[in-house]
Parts: sequence; structure tokens; C-alpha cells
Amino acid sequence: MTDADLARPDLTSAGYPAERVSLVDLLDRVLAGGVVVTGEITLSIADVDLVVISLRALLTSVSALTGQDPEAERADRR
Amino acid sequence: MSGGELTRPPGPAPKRVRYRLDADDDPRSAERGLAALVLTIVELLRQLMERQALRRVEDGTVTDEQAERLGYTLMRLEERMNELLDEFGLEPEDLNIDLGPLGPLLDS
Amino acid sequence: MSEDSGVWAYAITEEGHLSGPEGPVDLSWLTGVGEAKVRTVTSGGLAALVSDVSLAEFGEAALRENLENLDWLDEVAREHHYVIDAATRLFPLLPVRLATVYTGDAAVSAALTERGGQLRDALRRVGGRVEWGVKAYAAQHEPEGPNEAEGPDEAKSADADGEPAGGSAQPRTEGGVGLAYLRRRRAQLTAARETKTAAVTGAQEVHAELTAKAADARLHPPQSPQLSGVRQPMLLNAAYLLDAAGSVAFTAAVGGQATAHPELRVELTGPWPPYSFVGGDDDGR
Repeated sequence: MTDADLARPDLTSAGYPAERVSLVDLLDRVLAGGVVVTGEITLSIADVDLVVISLRALLTSVSALTGQDPEAERADRR
Repeated sequence: MSGGELTRPPGPAPKRVRYRLDADDDPRSAERGLAALVLTIVELLRQLMERQALRRVEDGTVTDEQAERLGYTLMRLEERMNELLDEFGLEPEDLNIDLGPLGPLLDS
Repeated sequence: MSEDSGVWAYAITEEGHLSGPEGPVDLSWLTGVGEAKVRTVTSGGLAALVSDVSLAEFGEAALRENLENLDWLDEVAREHHYVIDAATRLFPLLPVRLATVYTGDAAVSAALTERGGQLRDALRRVGGRVEWGVKAYAAQHEPEGPNEAEGPDEAKSADADGEPAGGSAQPRTEGGVGLAYLRRRRAQLTAARETKTAAVTGAQEVHAELTAKAADARLHPPQSPQLSGVRQPMLLNAAYLLDAAGSVAFTAAVGGQATAHPELRVELTGPWPPYSFVGGDDDGR
């Protein structure tokens, strides 16, 4: 694991620590990524019908969770 | 009983999008939110009309006089839109509605 | 486990990774969701990093409600990520999706046993690798909406009554004001469209170049302005999988792409644990 000291003068980086990570970038990953290892669980996020609670919420993640293929969506957008 | 299977979401789940008009109780804020909604639609129509007019002018299916009149009307419409924005304390950026996966209503 | 508590899972690794040449890896300092201590559950050579959570907050009904609360989600997502991020610096692992709550350790063990083969495959694929996020926005340019009209002021200084007289159907045509307006709008729309096309094409090129330099790539849906907080449209929201040792070269390549594409504004985030590459729905993707 490298904490490489990288010269990125033109780019913004929001890496470690976790507090500086943008919430939307984080939710993109923890809600739609990660392994889903179900079994005897109380609730998997795959079962949750996430309601968008405000304009600043989870539209993209919701579409990923409902089985729509984000790559297909991207292809359509192009 | 541990299923061990991966659970797929049961088909496309309904997504409810709530569009909140205002976050506070200021009546002007609610009015501005409503104005933004209405003016977004008006602006959409204005842009559509403008593009249609440009197309017809370029296709040559209107006379010069008609084109002049179209252009003049559109110009006045744009002025009026700016006046309305001022009246409601809105910026052009406030005019837009996010349709979720469909993207924003107004182009750019 | 009591009836009131469940087990929240953070990550999965091979049991062997939990001990090193100097003995067991010390995780005693690590706390997760609700500031509970992180511990491990092992089964069949695999281990899960978990912590205990109260079902009052994380049981099915409560979870459904809490997941809709953005402030709650913000805090919990960061606590979840913190554990994964800290642990991934100690050993290779698979991040677990947010809000995977088991009824007890037995359920965790059973899950590890049942999915053991697939989990090991996934660990081989992404274990020890990192993810870099690249987002590209159209570079700032003039908006095309109202307020764009920097018209010749002399045309507008004509008196306010611009309405054509009824019946004559001839508006003022001082030097073809209307035609001039149409010409100006056409030029603006064309320029805007060309700019946008160039930016979209540029984003595709960037993605192709970076994909070629990475072990794998995934596209996330672009974030709307409301989500990104940026007015310009997001044209690329991608994740690239790299060996840890490849990070320096890759981030340099991202910088190079940013320079080569002035029509874009490029943002880099990372290094992330390989969230986007564990293929939640099927294996080997």
C-alpha cells in the first residue's frame, strides 16, 4: 500500500483521511460497490427502496441499486 | 436459514422523487421556488421555439420578412424572460429541474 | 448475541492475513459504526471484520428509515469506510457493501462458508489493489440561456412599444434587428454544441487512455449538478483498478490527460479500497 506523495498540480484530490472525501463519491462506492454476501441478515441494502429525500441525495446510487446497469446508462447518455 | 445466494433487487424498484419547493417557511422562498418551476417551463418553450425558428430560417422556408419578425419576437421574449428573472430574484442557473436518470430538463 | 444486537460487516479477508511474523495483527484500536470495537469472525480460512450494532438502530425497520436520513447516512458511511480504509492498509481485503447486518456470528460464518470459493476468487482479483477515481467535467464556458443577449444596445433603445401595428405584420426593422438576433443566437448555439461535443469526445478519449493503463475500469453514473455541486455537466465518472505500486505512474498519466484535454476539468480521487471492482452482483466481472 503506498501513500505515494504525488505531484498533481492541476488536479484536485480528495483522498485520505476519510473526512475529506466527498459524500457523493463515497456513497457511489459504498452503496453500489462492495461485496453483497447475504445470508441470515436483517436487511440488505439491495432490498431497500431508497427514497430520494432531497435534491442532494442518491439518484445515481438508487439507479445502481435497482439493477439498472450504470454502464448502459452511460452509453445511452453519450 | 442462510441462503448463501446473492439477493438481486426484485426488478426495477419504483423510485420516488420528492421535489422540495423550499426548505424554510419564508413565503417568498416558496413563491420563488414556484416561479423557478414555472419559468423553467417557459424557458424550455422559449428555447424550443428559438431552435425551431432558426431551423426554418436556415431551411429557407420563411421569407426574409418573416424571419425578421420571428427574430424580433424572440429577442423580445428573451428580454421579457430576463425581466421576469429579475422580478423574482432568480438567476438563469436557478432555472432547471433534475429529472433524475433523465438528467436536467434544460440543456446546458 | 442478544436479541437486541446484530453484526455489521465491513470487509472480508483471508484468515492467514490476520497474523504476521510478529503475531496477530492488532486491530484493538479500530472502531467502526457507533464507535463499536471491530472484531473478527472466521470460517473456512476466511475472516470477516465486524462489529456489534444495536438492532434498535440497525434492524430492518430502523435501517430502512435511517438510510433515508442523509445525515445519518453520511456519518455511518464514513464510519464504515474508515474501517475498510484503515484495514486495507494492513492486509488485502474485499470491502463489504454498506448496511450488511447479520443476525449473529453464526450467520456470518455460514455466509463465509457458502460463498468461500467466490470470495477467494474475488480476493485474488482485487486483494491488495487500489482504486483511483477520475471525474471529468466540461470546462467552464459561457452559458446559453437568457441573459446571454449582449445585443446592440441601439436596437433595444428603441422605444418600449415594439409591438407591430395590428394588421400590418411588420415590426420595426431598423437594420434587421430580428435577423441580427437570429444570427447571433445561431452562432451561440453552434459554438455551445461544438464545445459540448468536443468535451464529450475528450472524456471518451481520456477514459480509453486510462483504461489501457489500468488492470480494470468501471464507469459510475455521472453526477448531476445537484449532486456534484458543479454547474458544468460531469462527462466522466470512472474508477480504475491499479496495483498499489502502479499508483504513481497512473496518477501521472491522469495529470497528462488533464493537460492534453483543456476542454475538460479533471478531478482525481483516491486511493480507494477497491469498492467498485468486487462485482456485487456477479463474479469475475
